[in-house]
Amino acid sequence: MTAEASRPREPDPRGLPREEVVLRAENLSVGYKKPVLSGLSFSFPQGSFVSVLGSNGVGKSTLLRTLSRHLPPLGGEIKIRERPLSGYSASEFAKVVSVVMTDRASPPLLRVLEYVGLGRHPHTGFLGKLRETDVEVVLRCLADVKARHLSDRFVDQLSDGERQKVSLARALAQEPRLMLLDEPTAHLDLKHRVELMGILRGLCREKSLSVLAAVHDVDVAAKVSDQVLALKDGGLTSFGPPQEVLSSRFVSKLYDFEKAGYSSHLGGIEIRGDGSRGRVFVLTEKDRGAQSLRHLSKHGYALKVGVPERHDLDAYVAGALGAEVLTRDSRGGKPEEILRKAFRSLEDCDFLVDALGPEAPNPPGGEEAPGREKGNDAPFSGGGRPDGGFYRRELLREASRLGLTIISLGPGGDAAPLARELEERGTALSGTYGKALSGS
Amino acid sequence: MRAELSLESALIARRHAGRRYLVFIVLSASVLILTFANLMIGAVSHPVGDVLRELVRPFTDSGTDLSFIVWKIRLPRALATVMGGAYLAASGLLLQVYFRNPVVGPYILGISSGATLAVSLAMLTPLGLRLAYLTPFLTTLAGLAGAYLVMTLVVAVAARVSSGATLLIVGLMTGYICSSVTAILTALAEKEKIKGFVLWGLGSFSGFKWLEIWIMLAFGGLLVLSIFLLSKPLNAFLLGEEYAASMGVSIRRFRLFILLAASSLAGLVTAMAGPVAFVGLAVPHMARLSLATSDNRVLIPGACLMGAIVTGACDLIARTWLSPVELPISAITAFFGAPVVIGLLLKRGVKM
Repeated sequence: MTAEASRPREPDPRGLPREEVVLRAENLSVGYKKPVLSGLSFSFPQGSFVSVLGSNGVGKSTLLRTLSRHLPPLGGEIKIRERPLSGYSASEFAKVVSVVMTDRASPPLLRVLEYVGLGRHPHTGFLGKLRETDVEVVLRCLADVKARHLSDRFVDQLSDGERQKVSLARALAQEPRLMLLDEPTAHLDLKHRVELMGILRGLCREKSLSVLAAVHDVDVAAKVSDQVLALKDGGLTSFGPPQEVLSSRFVSKLYDFEKAGYSSHLGGIEIRGDGSRGRVFVLTEKDRGAQSLRHLSKHGYALKVGVPERHDLDAYVAGALGAEVLTRDSRGGKPEEILRKAFRSLEDCDFLVDALGPEAPNPPGGEEAPGREKGNDAPFSGGGRPDGGFYRRELLREASRLGLTIISLGPGGDAAPLARELEERGTALSGTYGKALSGS
Repeated sequence: MRAELSLESALIARRHAGRRYLVFIVLSASVLILTFANLMIGAVSHPVGDVLRELVRPFTDSGTDLSFIVWKIRLPRALATVMGGAYLAASGLLLQVYFRNPVVGPYILGISSGATLAVSLAMLTPLGLRLAYLTPFLTTLAGLAGAYLVMTLVVAVAARVSSGATLLIVGLMTGYICSSVTAILTALAEKEKIKGFVLWGLGSFSGFKWLEIWIMLAFGGLLVLSIFLLSKPLNAFLLGEEYAASMGVSIRRFRLFILLAASSLAGLVTAMAGPVAFVGLAVPHMARLSLATSDNRVLIPGACLMGAIVTGACDLIARTWLSPVELPISAITAFFGAPVVIGLLLKRGVKM
């Protein structure tokens, strides 16, 4: 077969059957002499984005190095496109699998075009001269990672984010079916992190590239992956779609979280304070108090939250922060019951934060009450379901009865009063955050 | 879109070619001119015409003085500087790429120390007297033996360890061991012998025999050619071993080839001309900076030509500056070469 004939691999997904299994590991053991991970069995089809999750040192890189043939497997079998790894010659393998490692080589005096051109290595002739078709592929790959404008720059003069895009382009220039990436977003700022993951996601969808990436951000993994490969304690804990695998409990256990919580609904991590400063009851719902909740938790307050609906954003944030959350549509909970509970938990609080502001968030006849409740959503008058305003009034009354300090946040969740109050209580507010908080 | 891309890629593919051809023509011309200057200029200088006339007429013993000077003294020496410089530059370039380290030179693996030790054994100890029948090739043979023994050792270690840094340290340590033995021998040696030995240690291209020239040409030429032919995997090495492997280079074999080729070239030159400092370390940088690329397909011939120019020019200075005293070549190469490297670095503002 001539090089020319094998070259124009159309990026048309129709040409590549999506059902084809691109990587299959059977009972695989990896490690340096002693196994670090063993009994790994998984497979995924062409065009999948697979995230490898696990804490530092669990063996993510070792697994990647084994899959990329840098390390021999200690046991089991790896098949790429149903062909054993050992059945590939070095250059055949390079046409199917490419890698992006954490080590970002950036030799001096090498232009981006030449650098990405190095990725054509398995496709070029004896001296590695780039033909026009090769340059075309290089330019297309640069365009794919949105780095077309960098082609004339020197690689060692790029920023971290640009360099990572360019190294992605180099790996793409190999025209692989499977790309292995080790922490592709390490050292990148948020913008580049999001952009890079978006690019990879797009390549999977549009060009039917398969990606296996060790990632550290569970939240990102949950959002971009088709499959998640969770590693812990020398083995595969779970393999499947993120929505099935990544429950809050699972993630907390995977990383041995103590000071943080993952919310599968928010798709993000919340950092928990130690709650040693005191207890605060926060009246909030509908994102009014989410910022304040984080703020309080950060400054070491234990949180109690009432009384949002169960699927309210603030309820999720509070849950991830480890707060005691009282929701108003708890199953079987009569309003009196909920109120009694709320009063009880108010008793041992040091102060109350009213994030709902001076105006009631849900005037009777509620603006955005969930549809299923619409029918019986009358203002509380004994029989129907009470709204947030009702609970707020009752709790504020109870708080004054108990003599608790009440901090009211300004309209739109303005947290200046909270910051002031915390300051008086001896909590040093970090400048920018305090300002952002009061300005928001 | 596609048509645009094709047009653009065609332009890009052609863009750099033109300038580079020009650079190579200039470099090659410089080598020729310099070589010719080396034939003309010396203790007795001769006009171009006379030298040319001698060159087109093959050497005969019954010829003129000029014929003898050109064919027996200056031509072998000029050719030796051209080859010596080229080989050292290629060797240094190869090792700099392999170790991904800009301060590495051909002698980093202890090649010169090994050669020096063997030569000190031959020149400073009674061992040399017993092998006296080998003169005038004694120092050359000793240097060759020393250099290649150390090379064998380092390559054997390289087959076991995979880390470049480890290998570097092993090479350095081997070098130190050889140097300390040499130091002991020097301390014990007779005074008169020491000067000759010290001067050998600073390198000189004087007294090359035609036999040596042929050996250098055949052996070294073959190595340089094979290095050039392997510039594709060498380019992949710019990104480090793991990336090179992921792009289809078989690392194990290639690593041994790099070490063998670089050390063989350095050993060859060292055995015949002594350790010539600076060229192998600095010329690759000069080539990189003045050609503004890291592409080894350009750099290998570029560095070879520049190595030839630098060494040729330095040898000319060494012979003529304080004539009739001939200065050691290492003194000149570093003295004139280092400022050039510093200047280029500052001008380009490159971090190596």
